[in-house]
Amino acid sequence: MRFEINELNYTYPGSVRNVFQQLSCQVTEPGFHALFGPSGVGKTTLAKMIAGTINEFSGEIRLHQMNHVLYTYNLERLPGWSSVLDHLAQITPASNKQRMQELVDSFGLETCLNSRFVQLSLGQQNRTNLTRYLLQDFDLLIMDESLANVDESTKEKIILKIKALYPERCFLYISHNVAEVSKFCKQILVLRSHHKDPQAVLLQGQDFNGRQSLKVRDLEQCMLEIVNAA
Amino acid sequence: MLHRRIYQFLMIYFTGFAALMLVKYSLDLSDYVIPGFSEIWSACRRYFGLYLLAVLNTLSIAILGHVLSICMATVVGIIGRLTIWIGSFIRVAAYNIQAYPIVAVAPIIFILLGDGLSSRLLIAAMICYFPLLLSIIGILSEPVSEIEHFFESTHRMKWQLQVKIRAFENIHKLMTVIVGSATLAMVGTIVAEFIAANAGIGYSIRIALYQSDLAKILVALFLIGICTSIYLVFLEWLGGIIKERIGSI
Repeated sequence: MRFEINELNYTYPGSVRNVFQQLSCQVTEPGFHALFGPSGVGKTTLAKMIAGTINEFSGEIRLHQMNHVLYTYNLERLPGWSSVLDHLAQITPASNKQRMQELVDSFGLETCLNSRFVQLSLGQQNRTNLTRYLLQDFDLLIMDESLANVDESTKEKIILKIKALYPERCFLYISHNVAEVSKFCKQILVLRSHHKDPQAVLLQGQDFNGRQSLKVRDLEQCMLEIVNAA
Repeated sequence: MLHRRIYQFLMIYFTGFAALMLVKYSLDLSDYVIPGFSEIWSACRRYFGLYLLAVLNTLSIAILGHVLSICMATVVGIIGRLTIWIGSFIRVAAYNIQAYPIVAVAPIIFILLGDGLSSRLLIAAMICYFPLLLSIIGILSEPVSEIEHFFESTHRMKWQLQVKIRAFENIHKLMTVIVGSATLAMVGTIVAEFIAANAGIGYSIRIALYQSDLAKILVALFLIGICTSIYLVFLEWLGGIIKERIGSI
């Protein structure tokens, strides 16, 4: 399970500025990976291209053993006419019904189930939204700042749970938090502005899964590499 | 809500009435041009009951035409929201047709259908239909991407769900448009009756106009205002209940 991007070129409609110029990169194995880069560099655009919602580009995006690619972002909302529980029950495939309760417990959503989406805090909304995506059948899930507004300890708990529950799936986590990306992600795709060559750099993260001890020195080194690369 | 709207109408009505009296007495116009208080009061006592029935007749046609327009606009709006050629065709056609004054077509309708109920109903419906249609098309063709994205990407999106999401998200706008178009339905019916019908308050106003009897017209206007206000308040109340129901589903 991997994806590779070859010589990708893209310009926003109506703009003359290239977002991507001969961009090539790849993620080579399943796991919890990151797409990192400064604001405006094209992370969301690249994510949408991988998910297939932007198609007007030249170059190639090849997905190997990835038939179901989902893209989720942090501003999504649930329909307002039903409670969180009703919505989750409705959209969860029969094969994943048992996992629903497990995710609800792990993500701390028990108290939100009977509420409407608008009644939740921003962090609860993002956790709820992520939960419903995790209950779908997917090979690659792109999480565009999906854990924004979630406190650090809950965020860690959620990421570790995702890694434990879905070791064979691929995740691409978009975040601006260097420490978080360095600590939890296996491969970190650092996207740079189009005039830098190469435009994308692949780095190895610490891939912390909660069971091994984390070496602070290695983590700091990784963070430095990311900052330098970006 | 009811007293506020009626209070507002009374303020507007009596301001207009005062202006009329001011013109009459400042220019020393005869009672034949602008009748005096006693003549108006006498017309009110004589024609109040008769005109009230005529206004209720008009209002019933307006309500029927309004409901008809809402149903038609919803169906056409659902088709018009589509991004394929039929949707574009309906949108362009709606924008072009609504720019044409429907009142100008009314004589043709009377020639073809005569001066009965069907003509009044059709003209009332047509006059409030296009503003409703444009608003409904606008609301239903505007994606709510932050909700729809999930259903699109998991291949769960059906047209019913899409319409439900967009209507639910814009329920306040929809209710405002429906309440607003009720006035147009009333105007449409009165215009139809004024042109060629054989019943309703528009017909009564036409007769009063031929008799140059401003007192009768003032009584008719008063009753139209009161009855329209009651209908609008009823719609607002209904809208409130729908919003409340949707909110608690």
